[in-house]
Amino acid sequence: MSASAFSMTPRRRRKLTSAALTTLTYLVLVIMLAPVLWLLVGSMQPSSALSNGTYDLLHPTLHAFSAMWSNVDFGHYLMNSLIICGVAAALATAFAASAGYALARYRSKPLSAYSFTVIGTQLIPGAMFLLPVYLGFVWLKKNTPIQLFDTRIGMILVYTAFFTPVAIYFMRSFFLALPRDLEEAALVDGCTRFGAFVRIVIPNAAPGLLATFVYAFLFAWDELLFVSALTQTNAETIPIGIRNFIGNYNSAYDQLMAAGVVSTVPVLIAFFIAQRWLVRGITAGAVKG
Amino acid sequence: MSISETEPKIQPAQPLTPAPPEPPADHALTATARRHTWRRNRFAWWLIAPALIFMLLVHIVPMLLGVYVGFLKLNTFTLPKLFGAPFIGLANFKGLFDSANPIHDGFVDATRNTAIYTSTVVAGTIGGGMAVALLLNRSFPGQRIVRTLMLTPWIIPTFVVATLWQFMWQKDAGIINKVLVDYTHVLSHKPTWLLGDNTIWAIVIPSIWRGLPLPMLFFLAGLQAMPPELHEAAKMDGAGAWQRFRHITFPLLRPLIGIQLLFGVIYATYQFVMPYIMFGSDPGPKADLLMTLIVRQAFDNNLFGYGAAISTLLMLAMGAWVALWYLAFRRDLEVAA
Repeated sequence: MSASAFSMTPRRRRKLTSAALTTLTYLVLVIMLAPVLWLLVGSMQPSSALSNGTYDLLHPTLHAFSAMWSNVDFGHYLMNSLIICGVAAALATAFAASAGYALARYRSKPLSAYSFTVIGTQLIPGAMFLLPVYLGFVWLKKNTPIQLFDTRIGMILVYTAFFTPVAIYFMRSFFLALPRDLEEAALVDGCTRFGAFVRIVIPNAAPGLLATFVYAFLFAWDELLFVSALTQTNAETIPIGIRNFIGNYNSAYDQLMAAGVVSTVPVLIAFFIAQRWLVRGITAGAVKG
Repeated sequence: MSISETEPKIQPAQPLTPAPPEPPADHALTATARRHTWRRNRFAWWLIAPALIFMLLVHIVPMLLGVYVGFLKLNTFTLPKLFGAPFIGLANFKGLFDSANPIHDGFVDATRNTAIYTSTVVAGTIGGGMAVALLLNRSFPGQRIVRTLMLTPWIIPTFVVATLWQFMWQKDAGIINKVLVDYTHVLSHKPTWLLGDNTIWAIVIPSIWRGLPLPMLFFLAGLQAMPPELHEAAKMDGAGAWQRFRHITFPLLRPLIGIQLLFGVIYATYQFVMPYIMFGSDPGPKADLLMTLIVRQAFDNNLFGYGAAISTLLMLAMGAWVALWYLAFRRDLEVAA
C-alpha cells in the first residue's frame, strides 16, 4: 500500500529500504566505534584541555604516554598483569586440555556428574569463594611460611582455579570437532592411550589450545574482584592500578586514557592472533546448543 | 550448501562428530565387563585428576567454607579467630531482612539496583545483538569489514570501558553532554550522570555497549547456519519480512537466545568491575550492586559474616534462575541436542 501511496514501483521501494538499512548499519557502527576513537583522542590531548573541554584535535600530543609510567607505577602493574594472567591462562589451558579431552571422548555416569559440576561452578558468585580464600590466605600467612596473600603465586593459583572450568568447556568443544581416526590409527599401531594423546591429539588441537589460552588470558586480564581483595602492593594488576589512579589523580584523564590504550594493546594482539579459532570456539557451542 | 553469495566472516560451527557409544546400563554388565569399563575409563580419570584436584582445593572447598562463614559472627573483633569465630546460626540472614538492622537498607538498595541492572543489560544486549545481527546478515557494501569492526567494544577490557565512559559522562567537559546539549540540542540542559539517580544508567549503558557484540556474534552465526530455502519458500508463499522473522528466524534462534539469556543473567548479576572502577568501593544507593556491597561489607567494614550470607543468597537465587530457565527452555535443549 505504501508503494502506491508514494507512487513507487515495488522494486524502487525495495532498493530504498535496502539503502535505509545499510545507512542504519553504518550508523550503528559509528556508535560502536565512537567511544573507542574518543579513548584515542583523549589519550593524545593535554589534561587541561580535557578538563575544560577545549580539545584541539589537530594537535595531538604523546605526552601522556610517557608521563603515565612515572606518575603511577604503570610498568609494575603491567608486569604483574602479564605474568599472572599469562601463567594462569597457561595452567588453566593445560588442565583443560587433559580434562576436556576425557570429557569429549569418554562417557560414564561419574564423568557426566563431573562435567555437570564443571558447569555448575559458573553459578557460584566469585565473592562466595573470595571471602574464604582471603581468610585462608591470611591464616596461611600467620601460621605457615606459605605466602599467598599479595603475591603473584597466590593470584596465579586463584585465577587458574577460577578460569579452568570455562577452559575445560572450550577445549571439550574443540576435541569433539576433532576426528577420532588419527588417534585410533595410533592405537592400532601400538601407541598407548597416553602416547596417542600427547603425540597425536595435542599437536592436532594446537589451534584449540591457543584459543583457550587467549580466552582465559582475556578473562584474567579483565579481573578486578579477586585482585582488589587479595593484593595490596606487590601483586596488583592493571585494573586495580587504574582504580588507584582514578582515586589519586582524578583529573589526569589524559594519562588514564593513555593507560587504557596501553592496557588494550596486549588484548588486541592476543585477539588477532587467535581470532579465527576464538570466534569459532565461542560460537561452536552456540550453534550446537 | 552455500551460505551466502559473499564469503561469510564467521563460519558456522562444525557439525558434531558422532558421540562415542554409551556403555550398556550397569545392571546388564557382568563383573568382568564392569572391570573392562573401568579399565577403559581409568585413563579418562587420570586425565581429569589434575583439574579435579585443583578445582576441589581452590574452588569447591572454599565455596563450602564460604557458605559456612555466612553462619559465623565474623567481624572486626572476631577476625583474628578466622574460621573459629562464634557460630550464630541464621542471625546474619535474619539481619539482612530486619529493617532495624543497619545493613538492611543497603541490601535492599543493592538488590533493587542489581535487578534493574541485570534486566536492562540483558534485554539491551540480547535485543540489540539480535537487531544488529539481522542488519549484518544482509549483503551490503563493506559487510566483511563492518562485521569485524562491530566486535570492537567487546575486545576493550571492561575496566578500560568503565574508565573511558566515566571520562565521557562528566557533566561539563564530558563528550556525551557536549554532543547531547551543545552540538545537537537534544537536551536543553546538561544532566548529571555520575551522581544521584542517573548513576545506574551510567553503568548500564556502557555495559550494553560492551556486551552487545557477543550475542550478536552468536546470532549472526546462527543466522548464517540457517538454510536459505526456508526463507525463499516462505517468500514465495507471500510471507512478509516480519512474518518470516516471527515464524522462521525467531523459532530457529530460540535455543541461542536461551543460552545467551542463561549466561547473560548470571554474568550481569555478578558484575563488579563497572561500578567499582567508575565509583570506587561505594557507588552510592542508586548504583551499588550486590557484588560491590559484598566486597565493601567484607573488606572495608570487616563484616565477613554478612558478606558470606549475601553471597550464599545470591548463589541460591542463581540456582533458582537456572531451574526457571530450564523449565522455559527445556524443549529447545532437546531440539539442539
